[in-house]
Amino acid sequence: MKVGLAQFSPRLGDVKKNLELHLRYIEKAKKKGVDLLIFPELSLTGYSLKDLVEEVALHPEKDPLFTKLKDLSREISMVVGFVDEREAGLFHNSSAYLSGGEILHIHRKVFLPTYGLFEEMKFFALGRHFKTFNTPFGRTGMMICYDFIHYGASYLLFAAGSEIIIVISNAPGRGLSEQDAYDSSRIWELMGEAISRFSSAFVIYCNRVGFEDGKHFAGGSFIFNPAGQLVCRASYFDEELLVQNLNLDDIRETRKKWPYKRDEKPEIILESLKRIVRDYED
Amino acid sequence: MKISGPFVEKILTRFIKEELAKFGFKKGILGLSGGLDSTVCAFLAAKALKPSNVLALILPYGKSSELDVRDARKVVKLLGIRYKIIDIAPMVDVYFSEHPSSDQIIRGNKMARERMSILYDYSAREKALILGTSNKTELLLGYGTIHGDMACGINPLGDLYKTQIRQLAVHLGVPEKIRKKIPSAGLWSGQTDEGELGLAYKTMDQILYQLVDLRKPKKSVIAMGYKKADVDRLIRLIKNSEFKRRLPPVAKISPRTVGHDFLYPYDWGK
Repeated sequence: MKVGLAQFSPRLGDVKKNLELHLRYIEKAKKKGVDLLIFPELSLTGYSLKDLVEEVALHPEKDPLFTKLKDLSREISMVVGFVDEREAGLFHNSSAYLSGGEILHIHRKVFLPTYGLFEEMKFFALGRHFKTFNTPFGRTGMMICYDFIHYGASYLLFAAGSEIIIVISNAPGRGLSEQDAYDSSRIWELMGEAISRFSSAFVIYCNRVGFEDGKHFAGGSFIFNPAGQLVCRASYFDEELLVQNLNLDDIRETRKKWPYKRDEKPEIILESLKRIVRDYED
Repeated sequence: MKISGPFVEKILTRFIKEELAKFGFKKGILGLSGGLDSTVCAFLAAKALKPSNVLALILPYGKSSELDVRDARKVVKLLGIRYKIIDIAPMVDVYFSEHPSSDQIIRGNKMARERMSILYDYSAREKALILGTSNKTELLLGYGTIHGDMACGINPLGDLYKTQIRQLAVHLGVPEKIRKKIPSAGLWSGQTDEGELGLAYKTMDQILYQLVDLRKPKKSVIAMGYKKADVDRLIRLIKNSEFKRRLPPVAKISPRTVGHDFLYPYDWGK
């Protein structure tokens, strides 16, 4: 399976222009024989939308933009990020997995960061589920950016049978040291390594680059294999289409040797969690 | 508080380049005093843009800072950027001859705003975006003139403490003479930042880093060995200068108000 990560910089609030950029990447990826092309979080709109959210919201079931992308997904599967108006006036930060002319799944971001420089809960409605779904490449689960920092979310995708975990992100760089990378890039790589290893699943993380309102998105998109090994990583600065061959047999090979999945006990976790939550004090 | 010079250079040159492109500018303009911050900004601009697209305005008050002017001229020559020297004494003197003041701060602020006014005028004449040169130490302590040297289109240096700018300057190859210069806002002759603020930049930056970046409570910073009076004073300076870091409050009356709940990104459609 050949995966492409479109680590690019969308234009803020300009869906038409961003669709053009998507089409360009889709063309490029098709030429390189990519099977699954992944765009970053809010790839069709840009990140710092604030009150622009309503102006850029899309309706995946009826929007001509999605008709176009669905058509293209007959030749190349893709994940895009967009603002999803699921019910009138309720806007979600969402990702859609398109393949074979269909939308296979829409994930609506559950963990909306609202602290420090983030203010997503002010503008977005909450998603409520982490679900897995079948794709031509295996059982897949999706998360968006801050979802991935909450390891319970990864656990749910693991328990639901993910073989491929896709994370799309708009993570700004924060914190300097003597290293040639932001301190914050380590957060994502650490999580990628741990979750891939202990879920024995591929973790594919696609971040963006460029500046918005002074925030610098720190790229560094990556793929870890089911054994927790870094397969590839993109630049921390540059726009690029990172293309990587993945051997899907790695999932079976790893799970034979490291039976974490077989030995998992979601029933006990569920019952314990219920008891824990019940005992929370008001 | 150590930084990687090459990494920060890469971020900031891209920032300058991208912001100019977004807002439709080819050229950048800055006020060059011959001090460290504006020199570092000029170096970054010359790397980010073609040197011929960077215009440095050297804006002395009469002959009060001839050594700094000489250093500034050396910088523009070294970088191959365009420059203009405009003496602000005629404009400032006319004003003070009508409205005399011996208060050095009042006089210094007037000069800072005269420079701002010329920068904005040349920004329009040259279609060049103004690059700010206020560093994080100054922004936090409010050590700058509101609508004066704090005014700019974009600020590449505002998240680096003074001591980090010194590290960046070494990496960029800023001449030692400028790096070793005693920092001065240049509001009057003999003024020094550290004299006026009462602490060395090294100490100020470390205290600010603990308080602001690491969000340490005051008592833990004092427990690290910093003097209570110094920590208190810096906190007071931060609190009393919030007005310099924000747009003024608008009296909220309508359902949707600029500065309250009319919320759009700076990079709207860019």
